Amino acid sequence: MHVSLPLWPEPPPPASPHPSQAAVEQPEDEAAPLRLPRHVEAAVWRGSELGSPVTEVVSTGWAALDAELPGGGWPCRSVSEVLQPQPTLCEWRLLAPALRAIVARGQTVVVVGPPKIPHLPGLRHSGLEDHHFVLVQAETPSRRLWTTETLVKANACGALLAWLPQARPEELRRLQVCAAACEGPVILFRPEAAQFEPSAAPLRLQATFGLDWQLRVHILKRKGPVHEGEIHLPSIPGGLEAVMTPRLRHPSRLIASRERERADALGSASTREPSRRHTHA
Amino acid sequence: MLWAALLLESHPGATPTHDDEQLRGLATWALQWSPRVAITEEAVVIEVEASLRLFGGRTRLRERIRIEGAELGLAIAAWAPTSLAALAFARAGHEDGLSRPLEVALDAMPLEVLSAVGAHHHTLARIGCKTLGDVRRLPRGGVSRRFGKELLGALDQAYGIKREVHRWETIPETFSARLELMSRVDLAPALAFSSRRLLAQMCGWLAARHAGVNAFTLHWLHDSMRSKEAGPGGALTVRTGEFTRNLEHLWRLLNENLNKTTLLAAVGEISLTADHVEPLEERSASLLPDTVRQGQSLREVLERIAARIGPENVLRPVMTEDHRIEWAQVWKPAEEKQPRQTSAIETPQPTWMLPSPLRLAVKKERPQYQGTLQMLIGPHRVESGWWDRMGEPGAETTKHVERDYYVALSEHAGPLWIFLERRGDDLAWYLHGIFA
Repeated sequence: MHVSLPLWPEPPPPASPHPSQAAVEQPEDEAAPLRLPRHVEAAVWRGSELGSPVTEVVSTGWAALDAELPGGGWPCRSVSEVLQPQPTLCEWRLLAPALRAIVARGQTVVVVGPPKIPHLPGLRHSGLEDHHFVLVQAETPSRRLWTTETLVKANACGALLAWLPQARPEELRRLQVCAAACEGPVILFRPEAAQFEPSAAPLRLQATFGLDWQLRVHILKRKGPVHEGEIHLPSIPGGLEAVMTPRLRHPSRLIASRERERADALGSASTREPSRRHTHA
Repeated sequence: MLWAALLLESHPGATPTHDDEQLRGLATWALQWSPRVAITEEAVVIEVEASLRLFGGRTRLRERIRIEGAELGLAIAAWAPTSLAALAFARAGHEDGLSRPLEVALDAMPLEVLSAVGAHHHTLARIGCKTLGDVRRLPRGGVSRRFGKELLGALDQAYGIKREVHRWETIPETFSARLELMSRVDLAPALAFSSRRLLAQMCGWLAARHAGVNAFTLHWLHDSMRSKEAGPGGALTVRTGEFTRNLEHLWRLLNENLNKTTLLAAVGEISLTADHVEPLEERSASLLPDTVRQGQSLREVLERIAARIGPENVLRPVMTEDHRIEWAQVWKPAEEKQPRQTSAIETPQPTWMLPSPLRLAVKKERPQYQGTLQMLIGPHRVESGWWDRMGEPGAETTKHVERDYYVALSEHAGPLWIFLERRGDDLAWYLHGIFA
């Protein structure tokens, strides 16, 4: 009779009362010699897995994206980069679910040097609050960098979003080192061209929007295997969901039909390029 | 009884007196550890037996006094069961007078460490006394007749046989400290280092009074070789949002302000005054270890950033009850108090705003922005506001609007918030916000 708990999983007892159960356990039996004690198993990294050193994360709000990110969310104590083809494209749509959780904890979101003015009446639809929102306007790149570094070092805000289009690799490395002391996620927004520059950020995402109320995310760099393809995440910004009709759920069809009408009116095949944007595969 | 004797770094040529300003500053600073602080000759002595528990034990208190005192130029802090013994150890350069029995440790000390004994050290040396132990072994009657009763009295006090008498220092009602600089300073940022010593003194004084400061002024005096226009000196007042006595925070704020200051002439002397002081509520120490939050508070960081890049750049949104998009939120400096939350607009709203609406080109009656826009939702009519006026009296304009807002989709820029201006004769399309 087994009363004490085994330290590691023991092979199942040879005499199994139900043959069917034994059949189910057969594959496990084969793998048994490879089984390691649990604490050893936790420390071993297999090539096929996502890297595990990321321990503290804030969930992104989409299970599909969480599954692809090491640790399962936006990493804390580290810098993450989001690259977009043009600024103010999908920042809030991508980050709002994570920020909602941070604001709900009573922590403040600090925004450094955004290219346009954040509009709180719209952001409130995604869970941000005016009492937990601070905007730091800094025009010159050096000031943005100084402000970002000061905030990261101080570890005072729940999440830090900074627009640093001109940051150099050594400046990013410095930020990444400082961020080890910062308990919240630090997200840097940069232009798409920055993907060809080296960066010390352990996580780099490329994000753009799809016409049918989607976000299209490609992970350029992560701890783990290379990410292939794109993740499509459903997202409707700014409270538009309340006024959405079934027809409006697929604006790409509206655009396609408009293009067709136009082509018919001209009486020739459209010379215009297909509307779908070229994206990184 | 547990005594500490604090000795300042001695400057060659300086003669320490009882009224030495620096010594008084050190005594004021030391009052935060215990109310029993006295100035004895060139040292400050404090009795801390009753404060040990408050500061987390003997080792921790010793470390704190050593590290924090270094800011004020503390050379050595020696510990002993009596104040004269502590002073003797401090003079001899021994920090720890507690590890051995007091008699054993003191007996090995040379004569000069006690002033009353040191005054007679020539005579004593000639009769073969080299240490305090030698003097103590001389017959008491003879010593008393030969050297007077002060010597025996001091010895007895040092060995803890006779009670010591002190004149306790009191906490000054207001704080003002002065420091003569070692050399002339031409640049304002260079004052930061010397002013840190004064700030440390002020923080000690604040701790002794259980108070915090929200405004303090650094004054400086130009030295005598200045030009006539420069005037006698200048001052810089630093304000904080909350009452505090956090040395690091106050120093950083002062630093940022000094970086923006230019000195008219070289400075020879600085002084610091605490302008606005109020009692500070203490945080009580918890029995259970709570999660220690590293770093500074957000308010402190924002204050520091505002000091460098200007308070008009560190903003918080304040929602207003207004149906017109431009005025639905206003940005206020983050330091200001926030009003109560107002009710939100429930209609869809963009998440980015353009600083001012951007006029769009129109092609075949369709507005263009990075390609033709596809209208999705609308119109959402926003109008009136004739009562709201802005600008100079006489040439004022109203903030009256007549607009139809639409959600339009651009293939490159995403969902946009555009409006059709209905004022005036020709219709015009404007881009106003982005749903990002």
